[in-house]
Amino acid sequence: MHEASIILNVLDIAEQHCSKNGFEKIDSIKLRIGKASGVMLDALYFAFKAARIDTPASGAVLDIMEIPVGGHCNACKKGFSVEERYVFACPLCGSGDFVVTNGRELDIVELEVS
Amino acid sequence: MKVKVVSKILESNERIAEENRRVFDINDVYAINLMSSPGAGKTTLLERTVELLKGEKGIGVIEGDIMGSDDAERLNRLGVPVVQINTGGACHLDANMINEVLDDLPLEQIDILFIENVGNLVCPAEFNVGENSKVMILAITEGDDKPLKYPLMFQQSGVLLLNKLDLAPYLSVDIEKIERHVTLLNKEIEIFKCSAKTGVGLDNWANWLNQRLA
Repeated sequence: MHEASIILNVLDIAEQHCSKNGFEKIDSIKLRIGKASGVMLDALYFAFKAARIDTPASGAVLDIMEIPVGGHCNACKKGFSVEERYVFACPLCGSGDFVVTNGRELDIVELEVS
Repeated sequence: MKVKVVSKILESNERIAEENRRVFDINDVYAINLMSSPGAGKTTLLERTVELLKGEKGIGVIEGDIMGSDDAERLNRLGVPVVQINTGGACHLDANMINEVLDDLPLEQIDILFIENVGNLVCPAEFNVGENSKVMILAITEGDDKPLKYPLMFQQSGVLLLNKLDLAPYLSVDIEKIERHVTLLNKEIEIFKCSAKTGVGLDNWANWLNQRLA
């Protein structure tokens, strides 16, 4: 979807934290991206390579944790995690009465700065 | 040195969306983010909705299009305040675009603000603009395979208007399948079958709107 604008937001946030803490260089950026977030990881890496030029993150490594879609079933009272991007029924008991709790993450979690 | 950050990547949009929402709340405005593919009938449906509610409720419209002002002119003719946003290529409205035009609307006279998003079944669903409700339109001419092909917008919307119902006799579309798949994706969604052209079903939609304002 909007990998380039997502990366620009990531760089903005990273640069703010970097200068706020009195550092000049960003060495790595760790993201948490849910599988149902609509983000293509290849496009994200590609956008990062282009957008980091001439920023404090020009030599930074992008580290992405992909989070599977998971939820909790109200019928069988169990938690689940699936490989697919969408869940239509509880994979354990087939009930439609469940809540999705993971898989939509679009977070920046950690930076290494120097 | 490692720095723990833990923040949402799209937080700047979320922050401005919250700011917009505060402005809506202060002015007693109920804002609706209206989304669909190009050609599903957003503007026609808005015209009919304005005709149904005008006189009873204060209505305002923000029109989002990549270019042009045809839609704004159509609604302007109905005598409601309209602001046109041209995104100049961007495929969706974001919170900041809305924030920038709020001063151009007489919010104190508006009970219900329709934000007509750029025609696109994908990207608008990703960006909150501070709306109270997301409402989407799917024309039955688009086909019964769309909910499972474009799940996010169906998941994010509170209301689905199934438009162009008058064309059903000429199509092989399975409307019951659309409803079944939409309900699989989103158990909470309210579905109204309607035709903006003939007016069929629009009373249910108008009732839903009136209940929001009550």
